[in-house]
Amino acid sequence: MIASIKAEWRKNRFRPAFLVSTGLIAGIVVLFYSAEWYQAAHPGGPREAVSILTLFPDQFVNNVMGAGFPLGAAMALVLGALIAGSEYSWGTLKTVFTQRPGRLSTLFGRVVVFQAWMGIMTLIIFAVGAGYSVVIASVQGHAISWPAAVDIAKGMGAIWLILAVNGSLGIALGALFRQSAAALGVGLIYVTVLQIIVVRFITSFNGGTYKWIADWFDGQNASALLQSFTSPAFGRSTPPAIGAEQAVLVLVAYLAFFLIASAALLRQRDVT
Amino acid sequence: MENTTVIETNGLTKRYGNGVLAVDSVEMSVRRGEVYGFLGPNGAGKTTTLRMLVGLIRPTSGMATVAGHAPGDPAGLAKIGSLVEAPGFYPYLSGRENLKVVADFAGIGHKRVPEVLDIVELTSRAGRKFGTYSTGMKQRLGVAAALLKDPELLILDEPTNGLDPQGMAEMRKLIKDIGQGNRTVLLSSHLLAEVEQICDRVGVISGGKLVTQSTVQELLGEEGVLVRAQPADRAYELLTGMFGPAAVSRQDGSIRLKTDPAGSVEINSRLVAAGIGVSELRPIERSLEEAFFQLTGEKQGS
Repeated sequence: MIASIKAEWRKNRFRPAFLVSTGLIAGIVVLFYSAEWYQAAHPGGPREAVSILTLFPDQFVNNVMGAGFPLGAAMALVLGALIAGSEYSWGTLKTVFTQRPGRLSTLFGRVVVFQAWMGIMTLIIFAVGAGYSVVIASVQGHAISWPAAVDIAKGMGAIWLILAVNGSLGIALGALFRQSAAALGVGLIYVTVLQIIVVRFITSFNGGTYKWIADWFDGQNASALLQSFTSPAFGRSTPPAIGAEQAVLVLVAYLAFFLIASAALLRQRDVT
Repeated sequence: MENTTVIETNGLTKRYGNGVLAVDSVEMSVRRGEVYGFLGPNGAGKTTTLRMLVGLIRPTSGMATVAGHAPGDPAGLAKIGSLVEAPGFYPYLSGRENLKVVADFAGIGHKRVPEVLDIVELTSRAGRKFGTYSTGMKQRLGVAAALLKDPELLILDEPTNGLDPQGMAEMRKLIKDIGQGNRTVLLSSHLLAEVEQICDRVGVISGGKLVTQSTVQELLGEEGVLVRAQPADRAYELLTGMFGPAAVSRQDGSIRLKTDPAGSVEINSRLVAAGIGVSELRPIERSLEEAFFQLTGEKQGS
């Protein structure tokens, strides 16, 4: 297993898709902060006013949580689909499977390295958010204070979990379709469109009798988990219908399911 | 006693979900230290068989032992180097980095990487990304990866595919060199000349069935004697009397005898003694191509 992790790290550490995605998500955090800062400095537009207080370091965890879903989730899904699907299109799966480690050991190494990358992306999101909030506070002459370490850790854990779940969905779809293109298409449609429509339908059907079903969708739970990170500085907010604890449990269950499905597909199917 | 068989299959069969019988009860035996040619036309089942031997495909029925283990067993894979179909590597990594990745997966150090790059003469281009490699360079890198584990069994599936004539000649020489000593090479090919030049023994597969398995010499061994004589009818009668009708045939004005060429002197004496003029009498050396087409039922030049 160590050999598989070592090999997967060697092949993925400079993988353009990972480097570009990490840069992209960092850029998006910068863009978000810039837009919010501009809006806070220039109130009166059609959007609700942004309080400058929400952009200071003590609120940065609550701010960067928005990068987790659906944007971060979609990116993680793309990367998962690529890391699994491209092994088929490049013919590298047969090269890997004819070396010493078994199929499950290979998958284990891949998952460990992939989730480590999701951790790196989470760190980047938080580092960029924290850095930009320090810049804003410095420019505004506001004292710099930080959220509690436990809140930072919880926030990072939540973002990582959302990226991990969606990335694992991408890995499972890549193994299912044995290519990245179909996995990408189906996965993105599911995360960004299909799930939302289905949830809306279920929630409104028969006066909301079956809303409990909608509460088991991964997207609903990811959103609820992110919404649990809020503070009075952001003004009025409606509490999420799903508790953070339940959201974490549901997301962990999804993570396990996607990984088990990937393992079953890789173990059972022929490599043609 | 040392086991002299490196690959042994018993009734190895693969039927795909769509009902296509790709490999049908193949009984193959590859001995230690030999270069074994696995010969067959495109679509005969060569690659499917090789994929089953390295554990990429599970057989529908039958079994195989490869390097003392079941196909796909990590302990067996540790002794096998393989290049099955087109070489598969990461296009964004250099040739050298790709070999390091393969070495990591194999659980071996990187010490062999420069060695195998040297063997396939790719050292000077090892720093270039795999995606920029020519077909020939890709094939060489595939062979280099197969050699990384210093395997006792090397499985190469059409390694000269896509190479220019010079590249093919170099690859054949390389495989011949690799096959020296105690290492076993299983070489799949549809190129008859390639197999004839390189291999000690041959298995011919057609329509998923292994139609024969023998040494190249044995395969070519059904030699005979070609006779041109006048009058031809009398010569035919005499030779039929000598060897029986099943061993004598007429073709393009000549008479072909299924007999040992060593008996040519006797044939000549009998013909001359009967007053028959002999204008040509020589051994027929059947080419591997002829043997192949005869065995597979394919038509030459079709």
